[in-house]
Amino acid sequence: MIATVGHFALFLALVAAAWAAVSSWLSTVASGRGLARSGERGIYAALAGIVIAVSALEIALVTDDFRLDAVYHYSSAAQALPYKIGALWGSQAGSLLLWSFLLAGMAAITVATNRTKNRALMPWVVTVLGLVMTFFLILVNFVASPFASGPMRPDGVGLNPQLKNYWMMIHPPTLYLGYVGFTVPFAFAIASLAARRTGDIWFRTTRRWTIFAWFFLGTGILMGSYWAYIELGWGGYWAWDPVENASLMPWLTGTAFLHSVMIQEKKRMMKVWNVTLILLTFCLSIFGTFLTRSGIISSVHSFATSDIGPAFAWFLAIVFVGSLTLLILRLPDLPAEARLESVLSREASFLFNNMVLVGIAATVLFLTTFPLISEAATGRKVTMGPPIFNIVNVPWALVLLFLIGVGPLIAWRKATAENLRRNFLVPGLAGLWVFLLFVVLEGRSAAKDLAAMGRSALSFDAATFLDHLKAFYPPICFGLAAFVLTTVAVEFARGVGVRRRQHGEGVLLALARLVERNRRRWGGYVVHVGVVIVFVGIAASSAYRKETVQLVDPGGTLQIDGYAMTYDGFRLEAVDDHVGAITELSVWQDGRFAGRLEASQRWHPNMLYPELRTAFHDAVAAKGGDPAAYRARIQGIFALIARLERTAGREVKTPSTEVAIHKSFSPAAPQRFGEDFYVTPLGVDPISGRANFRVFVNPMVNFLWLGGLVFVLGASICILPDSRERRRLEASMALEDRAAA
Amino acid sequence: MAAKDTAYEQAARAILCDCGCHPQSVLECACSHAQEMREAIAAEAAAGKSAEAIVAGYVARSGESILVVPKAEGFNLLAWLGPGVGLLVAIAGVIVLLRRWRRGSPADAGAGSAPAATDADLARLRRAIDELR
Repeated sequence: MIATVGHFALFLALVAAAWAAVSSWLSTVASGRGLARSGERGIYAALAGIVIAVSALEIALVTDDFRLDAVYHYSSAAQALPYKIGALWGSQAGSLLLWSFLLAGMAAITVATNRTKNRALMPWVVTVLGLVMTFFLILVNFVASPFASGPMRPDGVGLNPQLKNYWMMIHPPTLYLGYVGFTVPFAFAIASLAARRTGDIWFRTTRRWTIFAWFFLGTGILMGSYWAYIELGWGGYWAWDPVENASLMPWLTGTAFLHSVMIQEKKRMMKVWNVTLILLTFCLSIFGTFLTRSGIISSVHSFATSDIGPAFAWFLAIVFVGSLTLLILRLPDLPAEARLESVLSREASFLFNNMVLVGIAATVLFLTTFPLISEAATGRKVTMGPPIFNIVNVPWALVLLFLIGVGPLIAWRKATAENLRRNFLVPGLAGLWVFLLFVVLEGRSAAKDLAAMGRSALSFDAATFLDHLKAFYPPICFGLAAFVLTTVAVEFARGVGVRRRQHGEGVLLALARLVERNRRRWGGYVVHVGVVIVFVGIAASSAYRKETVQLVDPGGTLQIDGYAMTYDGFRLEAVDDHVGAITELSVWQDGRFAGRLEASQRWHPNMLYPELRTAFHDAVAAKGGDPAAYRARIQGIFALIARLERTAGREVKTPSTEVAIHKSFSPAAPQRFGEDFYVTPLGVDPISGRANFRVFVNPMVNFLWLGGLVFVLGASICILPDSRERRRLEASMALEDRAAA
Repeated sequence: MAAKDTAYEQAARAILCDCGCHPQSVLECACSHAQEMREAIAAEAAAGKSAEAIVAGYVARSGESILVVPKAEGFNLLAWLGPGVGLLVAIAGVIVLLRRWRRGSPADAGAGSAPAATDADLARLRRAIDELR
């Protein structure tokens, strides 16, 4: 019944979306107002169909309808309710349905908010939105249906253990909001070309959509990093995994777009480039979805693989070639109206900023897809691990950091010596001071690296030179961070000072009014501060991380970098879907007791083995009874798994770890502010309790997450309605309407 | 800089943990498969094998994709050098673009004299001052 409702609703949604595209397009050639309205109603109808389908799938998940493959493979009777709901985006078909749902929702909001304006653009916008929706609806109707079903099964396989984390509930939908959100500015860009209205209306209308998509994509990336950090147990947060890269690329080009569009607003330059950037961003969003869901390049996120690859490849090719052709045809409509006066100007600095952002995106794209290129060209498979990404991207990122400081303060048109001195002397000195401070703190090791760089430069040994140059990346990063933060602080202080003098306001009121009067500008500064804090967190936690791996018996102690960790004891448990060994730890930081932690190693027995299933259920039933008997039963499961593994292989269990983290924010130890003491039990003997602990001390790693919160604050300021922006948009619309008349 | 790595560390850092998790070295990956591989590599190193010999053994058994990063030779040079060449091309491209933009700019046409402020300029100035408030 549910499957039938779902199939039917999705098919109706497909028809409605296709109709929206066709009738809207017809309205542009037949100038039929009725057709345009009908197309817009098609979007609403498609949304209604998709909402019914999503509801049907959620009902199936919550009521354990294991006839549906999407329920059977990604949920189970024992699965907690939030994970049953979240299993919707655990499956490939379900996540494509989520994509369709979010897109239909955004398309409906776009139609609703533009019902009395942008009438020349809207038929084209609805055509593009309708076409993209049609593509995704074809996928969920005919290629990867979330309602594919079989006979009723007694229980489901359940979600992958690593996905059973609260971030599973938040991270994928957040990321998808970002991916999908870029469709709206893309649709308006295409509409402006198609309708030959190539002024600034398309990006002014979609300014908040662009920030919305960029905000959610950025937040989604940070959430994914945090999830990896607390779940995967290797002490890091970013490994240049193809799926991580897939989300980073559109965010980078989207960031480039948000900046270069300012040049078009102020100087009427870079019109072609801006359309190209939004086209690239949309294509990379589709490519990201494709990489995530197709499993074309093996990675941690590719839990689902299927035959959606060719469909995506065709769609991407059509979108890319079609949009590019339209852009080329409209080149005469996109002349640059202003020219550059000086290389020392904001225009030029934004151009460099775009070069770096797009350069990093291109590098990541090239290296991510290189295994495919290599296999196609030479037949050899290769792996692209983190080191090869870091070679170019770390220097790129440092240049970007420098430009974050320069861009907002350098004068438009031409910077005079006075402008440079006024804005950059103090921040430059601050940056230099911090850089030298860290070099001096490194002392002898910095001198050795410098000498080795000199020797390798004389012998033209580039590899050794770069290897030693790396030692200077953290001081350079900290110096640049100080430079940027000082520029922002000076700018805020100056703005507040002007308001205080002119309006006699207090500091806080002046600050609030300042931000309120130009949200995009001041919100942008806050975003910059957030990004700088993230950079500092990355640099410090990568460069100064300490690590040890030690075998410790219960009662034993481990020491690392001023910390002492006592392994007090362990206990065994059989709960939910796993057996686990939980280690109980006490941590001392610089001689002071810091707290107790629990880190565990879990094995998820494969319930398809009857003897394992029986043993597991017996153990769960013994909980609450005699503790010794309960413990003995769990030890029996560990032994059974070890025995089965010898003949059946590693699929008899899925291991996972629950790391323990002690975060330092205490003013008592300021030098450790933002530091994590991070424990992963690599293995725990269920009989003796002897554990192999891997422990990291990650200095300042929490700056990464704090910077993320500042980023969220800044982006939220930027996205609030802005009367000044609205007036500009209205003026542009009036101007263009007069020109069209 | 850290002291010279042991043969075990060098080999474990170069070999990929092929567990299907993140693309990470055996030394870094936290999964149980990596633990087994670390023990195997440590045993080989303890038996006196050099890092190169251990890595070569893995490549012979599992192919080049067992390396965290491919060797910088042959077709792989494209991956190692491509981004750097791309960087140079991008910088060159931006310089060419800047020169083209500068040509025909009002500053050049005015032969050094500042152009008189138009009404539009004054309006923009007023807006800019307004923004600062």
